[in-house]
This record gives sequence, structure tokens and C-alpha cells, in this order.
Amino acid sequence: MISPFPPAFLFILGVFLIPLLKGKLKQAYLLIVPAIAFLDIIKLSPGMSWSYSFSGYNLVFCNVDRLSLIIGYIFLIIGFLAIIYSIHVKEDGQHIAAFLYIGSSLGVVFSGDFFSLFAFWEIMAVASLFLILYQRKKESLSAGLRYILMHIAGGCSLLAGIILYTINKGSIAVGVIEPNAAYWFLLLGIGLNTAFIPLHTWLPDAYPEGTVTGSVFLSVFTTKTGVYVLARCFPGVEFVAYMGGIMALYGVIFALLQNDARRLLSYHIVSQVGYMVAGVGVGTALAVNGAVAHVFNHILYKALLFMCIGSVIYMTGKRKLTEMGGLARFMPVTTITCIIAALSISGAPGFNGFISKGMILQSIVEAHRPVLEIMLTLASIGTFLSFIKLGYFAFFSRNYDMKSKEAPVNMQLAMMLTAFACVLIGFFPGILFKVLPYQDIPYHPFTPSHIVGVIQLFMLAGASFILAKAMVVPHNAVILDFDYFYRMAGRGLIWVCVVPLNALRKKFQLFSSVTVSIISRLAKNPVSTIEIPIAYVYQRITKGNRYTGGYSSSDTFNENLYRRPVGAGIFFAIILFLAFVLVYFVF
Amino acid sequence: MEKIFKIVFMALAVLSIPIGFFVEHEHAVFPWHRIPSFEAIFGFFGTFVFIFATVLLSSFAQKKEDFYD
Repeated sequence: MISPFPPAFLFILGVFLIPLLKGKLKQAYLLIVPAIAFLDIIKLSPGMSWSYSFSGYNLVFCNVDRLSLIIGYIFLIIGFLAIIYSIHVKEDGQHIAAFLYIGSSLGVVFSGDFFSLFAFWEIMAVASLFLILYQRKKESLSAGLRYILMHIAGGCSLLAGIILYTINKGSIAVGVIEPNAAYWFLLLGIGLNTAFIPLHTWLPDAYPEGTVTGSVFLSVFTTKTGVYVLARCFPGVEFVAYMGGIMALYGVIFALLQNDARRLLSYHIVSQVGYMVAGVGVGTALAVNGAVAHVFNHILYKALLFMCIGSVIYMTGKRKLTEMGGLARFMPVTTITCIIAALSISGAPGFNGFISKGMILQSIVEAHRPVLEIMLTLASIGTFLSFIKLGYFAFFSRNYDMKSKEAPVNMQLAMMLTAFACVLIGFFPGILFKVLPYQDIPYHPFTPSHIVGVIQLFMLAGASFILAKAMVVPHNAVILDFDYFYRMAGRGLIWVCVVPLNALRKKFQLFSSVTVSIISRLAKNPVSTIEIPIAYVYQRITKGNRYTGGYSSSDTFNENLYRRPVGAGIFFAIILFLAFVLVYFVF
Repeated sequence: MEKIFKIVFMALAVLSIPIGFFVEHEHAVFPWHRIPSFEAIFGFFGTFVFIFATVLLSSFAQKKEDFYD
């Protein structure tokens, strides 16, 4: 009997074989690794741990409980499906990035201590960056740069929080955090990955710029590991609960205005993650169950949506809703699976979103949070509306110029399997309930009032939408988000460097150059001591400017001018050295 | 085709309202849980909240596509 192995390492070590294999063998290998990891994770049972002592701290690479197991299951299921979707990609680098991304996300999920969590967290950021950069377009490169800058900032905050936590508590075990200095740093670091408003801007900025297959992976892991760590460290925090409500509404309002199909989906990630964050913030057993169930369901339907829109982009090269349309005739599988995903994310009865959204809403009602209930119900109306918009303008609106074929077989297969999973859980939620973290929490999704309520909500929202359809026709425009302030601050920083700091540098350089020239002149000919003040005074009087020793401060580039700082540097070093020698010998 | 779809949808939407009078909320906690067909009212007016919010937002945040270039 082989004993279980931390699943993260299967992927991370598995990376090394990818470049060595070719053709069908490589494709088989890519699918076998997640399959083995799944068998491995099934053998893990709550309470197991795989730890390693490192300089006085206990690093726990595989801390198993019901919460980490369910997230591990869904990460592997979707990892497998997304690899089927991307199996045709020839570039090894993309597969390697995807493997590292899945592996490090599993690493975060199974980490029992903050140090290894942080290490996997950073691998996750870098691995995901490559799924954006492999698009090899100018927009992707700059979006990737902004993405990694924000994640580095978040990582620094997380590390600061971890260090403060370790100093205060003397332990590095992951657990519920008490309010102190570490609390806010950790919340900021985790909140950035969980797309808290206004730290969410990296998400709708970078995800639409990823590769067609890479975006499917991106949509799954980063935000969901964030929710998972939030559930471990900050359950039942009031601030987190209301942040969830704000995210749900904010994401959906921005989604309604988008024209880029994948940017619309990205704003829906912010919105849907808001539901999970609200669940975690409420913190009761039903709420955490609901949040985790929503993570599970959301991963399925959101990956499916990215797969559907990805195959539209892959086949037509069009990414804007204004350019799409009429695809239902050419891409029936994509259209049907996209409708299933849209109904799932909206929470229609018979689809998986209905189950977990209902759990979260009921837990909020039981915890007496009326404002939060209204916020989340309103957000679900917006979700439904923006998926009517997406479905209509992508697949059904009139566009006679559009011609396309159905996506490759592997993409179709992945979409069909994912859609099947969405419907399966929608009809048989018991499968999901069995693996939820808290057992024996009564919840019945299919009550008459719940079903009728959701149907009424959507039917009437749809009706008033038809009345006011003209208001939501997509436009060729960009909607400014909080990243406006970050970009302007970035430009401001560049301005400060280029204008005032550069002017200061020039002044200082001129001063040093003049000093050096005077001294070198004196060294050559000490008799000229008198000449210099005379030249200085003469120049001041006749020309009204300062004596520059032959150097001008004009902006024209003079390569000799820029060689001087080396001389000035050496000169100051010698002066300092002399001063040091003097001090050393005298005292 | 599109017109027929719209008419059928509107008809179904109107027909869904009276069903609300036959079901009762199991966990009526807040006052609005006791209003019959509350979701229908909420759905209808909620949409206008969104339309208002998007129009308001696009009035100041909507820029040309090359805004950042």
C-alpha cells in the first residue's frame, strides 16, 4: 500500500517531465497526473498531516480536514477538465504554468502553516502570470505587469502579517486570527487575492488578456484559494460579511456595462466571490457550508463560461459583444453549454447555483442581516440580466457576417462534462452535501417558496429588461474602475522621477562637475587660484549666469557630461576615505 | 420569431405572479417575507435600480477605448 503524498508536489514535480514527452504520450501524461492526484486525495482522511521540521518551526505541507478536502476535490476535478480543454495546446510552457498553478493552489489549500502557505501563494502568482503573458500581445504584457505588481504588493502585506503573527503568537500554524496589527496586514494580503473592493482591479484587468485556455485556469484558482484562506482565518467577521455584499453588487453593475465578453465574466467573478465572502463573514455553520458549496459550484460554472467564450474567441477571433452575434447556428454545443452555465450562475432551479446561493441566503436570514439579504438578492437579479445580455449578443443577435465552425472536439468534451456536472449537482445536491465541511446541518433547497421566489424574480426581471433593452446594448467603450487611481498614481510616480528628481540630479551633477573641474585645474596649476574667482565674477556680471567650469546644464545630451558622475563619485569616495583615515588615526 | 418569444415571455412573467399567493415562506423572518409575491415586485423594480445605476455610472466613467493609451 502506497501512503498518500501531498497532492501539490505531484503537480510541481510532475512539471519536469512535460518537456521530455511528445505528441500523444504527452497528452496522456497531462491527464494522468491529475487522475493520480485525485486517487491520492481520496486516500487522504481528515486528521492526517505531513510535516517537516525547519529551523525550529513545524512546516505542515499536508494538513487534512473536511474543509481542505472539498476544495482539493474541486480543484482536481476542474484541473482535469481544464486540461482536457487545453490538451491541443502545443506550447509546453503553457502546460507547465498550468501545472504549477494547480500544484501551488493545492499547496495553499493543504498548508497547515503560514510559511509554506506564503511560499505556495507566491508560486501561484508567478505561475498564473505566465498564463497571461503567453497571449504574446502588447495588452497582455502590460496587463500582466500590472497583475504581478498588485500581487507582489499583496504578497508583501501577507508576509508582514505572517511575521507579526509569528512574533506575537510564537507559532506559525494557520488558524483564526485575533484582531491586532497582524490581523489587518493578513486581511489586506488575503483580501487582494479575494478581490475585495477596491483591491480587485487586477482581476478584470488581467483575466480577459490571458490565453484562451489560460483564462479557464485563471478563473478558478486565485480568488478561490483566497476565499478558502479567508474561511480559515476570518470566519464570522462583520466587515468581511458586508464586503461580500458590496462585491456582489459592485461586480454585477460593472459587468452589465462591459463589451469585452471575458471582462464581463471577470466582473462576475468579483460578484460571485462576493457571495462566498458574505457567507464566510456571517460565519455560522450553514453560512460556511454555503460559502464552500458556492466555491464548488462557482468553479464549475465559471470555468464553463470561460470555456464557452474561449471557444468563441478561439474560433472567430472576436472578443467583443458588439462584434459577435448569430453564433447559435454555427456552435450549438457551445451555445447550449453556455446557456446551462448562465442558468447555473444566475441560480435557476435545477442548476447548481440555485443550491449554494440558497444556502448562503438562508444563513443570512437566520443570522438576521436584512441589508445583506437585500444586497445579495439584488445582485442575483443583476447576474441574470447580464447573462441575458451575454447570451443574446453572443449567440442570438442578428449578425449576417458571422461564420464559424464548432470548437475542437477536446474543447467540446470539456464543456459538455462541466455542464453535466452543473446539472447533476443541481438535481442531486446530496452529492455535494456529503463532502461539505459541517455535517448534519439541515438545509432543504427545493422548497416551494424558494423555487417560486427565484422563478418570479427572474421572470419579472426579464420582463422589465425587455422593456428597457435599449439601455444595455453594448458600446465600444472602457468603463473606468478604481484602477484609474492606481494608474494615475503610477504615472504620477513616473512624473516625480522624471521631472523633479531628475532636475535635482542634474543640479547635483552640475555642482559636482564644477567642483571636480575646479579642483583638477588647481591640481594642474595652483597659481590659477586667483583666476577662478575672477572668471566666476566676470561671468556673473557679463552674462548673468553662473560659472559652470565649461559644463552646460542644457538638456541636450552630451555623453561626456554623463561620464563625469563616475569621476565625481571617485572623488567623493577619496575625500571620505581621507576623512576616515584622519578620524581613525587622530582618535 | 423574436416577437413571439417576447410575448410568450411577458405572458409567463405575468402568469407567475399569482402563484406567489399559494406558497408561504418557510422561514419568514423579515417583514417582506410575509408579502405574497414579493420576489416579483423586487425583480421588476430591481431591474430599474440596475438600469439607473449603470446609466449613472456610464455618465462619468465611460470613456473612449484608447483612454489609457
